[in-house]
Amino acid sequence: MSERQVSLDYVNSIVHDLQKAFWDERGKGARFRVTTVGRDYFLSKCLPRIQRKEVEPIIEVIKQVLREEGLVAEVSHQLEEKLLRVQVRGCLHVPVEQRLVAKGVEPFTCIPANLIVLAIEEVLDRPVELAEIRVEDGACNLLLVVFDSRPTFE
Amino acid sequence: MSELYTLVQAVEKVIQDRRSIRQYTEEPVSEEELQMILEAARQAPSGENAQPWRFIIVKDPETRKRMGAIAGGGSGRRFTAEFVTQKMQERFASLEDEAKRKAAFEKLTSGQVSAFLAEAPVSIVVCGRKDVWDLPYDTSAAIENMLLMVTALGLGACWVIAPCIDIRDEERLKDLLGVPEGLKIVSIVAVGHPARYPRPRPRIPLHELVYREKWGVPYYEKKEE
Repeated sequence: MSERQVSLDYVNSIVHDLQKAFWDERGKGARFRVTTVGRDYFLSKCLPRIQRKEVEPIIEVIKQVLREEGLVAEVSHQLEEKLLRVQVRGCLHVPVEQRLVAKGVEPFTCIPANLIVLAIEEVLDRPVELAEIRVEDGACNLLLVVFDSRPTFE
Repeated sequence: MSELYTLVQAVEKVIQDRRSIRQYTEEPVSEEELQMILEAARQAPSGENAQPWRFIIVKDPETRKRMGAIAGGGSGRRFTAEFVTQKMQERFASLEDEAKRKAAFEKLTSGQVSAFLAEAPVSIVVCGRKDVWDLPYDTSAAIENMLLMVTALGLGACWVIAPCIDIRDEERLKDLLGVPEGLKIVSIVAVGHPARYPRPRPRIPLHELVYREKWGVPYYEKKEE
């Protein structure tokens, strides 16, 4: 890893500008083009640590990685049937979401959410959809839908 | 008996008659018809005449079935997300008939709205070269040309984005069809003989769409009903 460091403000400023540019280009459809952002990170940092092929242990691994890597301060979740509610506090990237919201743009991508989606899809082949990112009091409340299986329509 | 139209009338009729057809008869689309449709695509406007469009014709039932599953799965995910966040309920708020609203929700959240792709006799997979500036615009123009030719031929088609709007689904589709990295799958045009001809969908009136000189001043006055 490079020893060179840059400020978080700079990184978030650039991430915000990229997301805003993408929103301006693609509008509401932008969210569907960023669902794999974080995949390389997932493959290198998360996937090797996933031992059990069940949703709850998979989510716990992602939560551990997020905390240990310093990406978030706190993360909690509740899984009720298909609905997975995740609360993230102290995310490095929350200023990105806050700046988007201030400009009237509904946040449309989230690395913690993507890591969970990528993990469940990769390990269990169960589709997952990020339905909502709500930023409230500095925390991000994520709503995801975890489907039972990939439909075949047969 | 064939009817006679002026060129303007004919163009207007083709545009007005176009529908999104999702149910097809067993009758196959002929090679002559298919070539006319593709020729229409080929004549679409293209920035710098780059012609970034490429097409894959899919008739194989197994491939169609898998494309239908990708399309239906993607639609189902997205519409379920809209449902659980209440956005779908807001969208259908004006639909007062409870049974119809429930049926619409079921059709959308189940993915059936896009899974019909498996039943289309022919699917034209529209790809675009990424090394071209105007990829989305050029390919969209080509698609519209195809839809109009389909209508003129008395066939039916549906422009389907469901199997490729999410990059995860586009990756599966590219893998299925062997599409190389330098190209993007833009859409699929499902073509066949219509089993049913739906009513036209409501359109926003011109007075709500068109402004005079600058944004906000209507160009047309609202017509009294």
